[in-house]
Amino acid sequence: MILNFNFLPKYVGMILQGCEVTLILVVSCLVLGFGLGLVFALFRQSNSKFLRGFSSVWVNVLRNTPFLLQLFFFFYGLPQLGISTTPLVTSIIALSINSSAPNCEVIRSGLMSVKKGYYECAYSLGYSKFQTFVYFIIPISLRLSFKSLVNNFVNLALTSSVCYSTTLMEITGVAKTVVGRVSRPFEVYLLILILYCVFTYVISFISKAIDRKIHIVL
Amino acid sequence: MCLFLTETADSFNMDAYTQLTPNDLLQLLQSVWVTLYVTVIALAIGTILGILLGISRCSKNKILKYAPLIIIEPLRNSPLIVQLFLVYFGVPVLTGQVLPLYPAAIGTLALNTAAFMAVQVQTSILSIPRGQWEASLALGHSYASTYINVIAQQAIRILLPQAITLYISQLMCSSLVSLLGVMDLSRLAKFTATRTMQPFLIYGIISAVYFALAYPFTKLAKSLEKRISINL
Repeated sequence: MILNFNFLPKYVGMILQGCEVTLILVVSCLVLGFGLGLVFALFRQSNSKFLRGFSSVWVNVLRNTPFLLQLFFFFYGLPQLGISTTPLVTSIIALSINSSAPNCEVIRSGLMSVKKGYYECAYSLGYSKFQTFVYFIIPISLRLSFKSLVNNFVNLALTSSVCYSTTLMEITGVAKTVVGRVSRPFEVYLLILILYCVFTYVISFISKAIDRKIHIVL
Repeated sequence: MCLFLTETADSFNMDAYTQLTPNDLLQLLQSVWVTLYVTVIALAIGTILGILLGISRCSKNKILKYAPLIIIEPLRNSPLIVQLFLVYFGVPVLTGQVLPLYPAAIGTLALNTAAFMAVQVQTSILSIPRGQWEASLALGHSYASTYINVIAQQAIRILLPQAITLYISQLMCSSLVSLLGVMDLSRLAKFTATRTMQPFLIYGIISAVYFALAYPFTKLAKSLEKRISINL
């Protein structure tokens, strides 16, 4: 029952590289997933029946199938279509598509909680429909749904660990390799667990600071 | 293996391996059973544990209030996959005891569920207004009676839709136990897709099975949210 961290100095570089890959993965998926989520949330609010249905199917399918299968779907499926990618690109595609679904739901609930008066107010000031959305509705609804978006972001950071099964050398993949070399699984995984905890705490700390600035009550 | 050795290259029929057979259907049913078995047991244990932790989080006693955080916070803020590896690969090396596969997988999933459940229970109990407590105590209910007859009845209404959403996401997360070697739906998908070399078809079918398992509960959560919601 003795913890032995002697392996650490030798593998610190490797673990830091893993952190870097995880960061790249998470940040690019955050941006892409947010963009996709916003687009689908707007589709969900549109007047076109087709767009509404498409967005609803998109969200339901993504939320009701496991991320592991979605990842394998792209990892083994894309080469069959003749598209050759790297594990990082595959993971980014799969993860940002996956994270677009909860983002869409959250943004949509934000959009729905903007009262009708705001639309009427903007129209009566002479703004077009597009301008109303860009200058009024989207900023207000994003501020309202900021907390839930951060929640989704933390979830995304945790889900990104699954991407190691595409042979991507992000932090969980690095952990597996290090375990294979030093055969101290408990210490290595404990370290990784703590690293993830630190990461999520930093995210929630920063987001709380931002939230204090932009918090609004309708 | 024997087939490869005895038959010549010409007569060896590749199609027999790459095509889906009725046996695959049997395996599919078996792995659906495994997935449900792992998930349901983990959710049952996790729910009970989560409710206990959640109630303990609402108590006035400082120790009872903050002690559960030691378990809850690491479990909520780290990926399930790392937790599974830590338990299944890490603990045996440390203690010298080999953990059986299923208890390790189910136990970790249950603990993970319990952590999320505890937070939901806590928030739904705390969202009951103070007046309900005071009214109930003023009417002569004991503390336990207040909990059971007044608070729990309302808290469950808030909790239930959230809990079902959590259950669905845990069903999705249960696919991760396949990485330890549990022969559940995702592992079957990987094996079959490799054998038949038709990833789109196989992953599509297995995803559809997961969807069929989860979607009714998504609908249920939505309708419950509308039907039993209360205005506090």
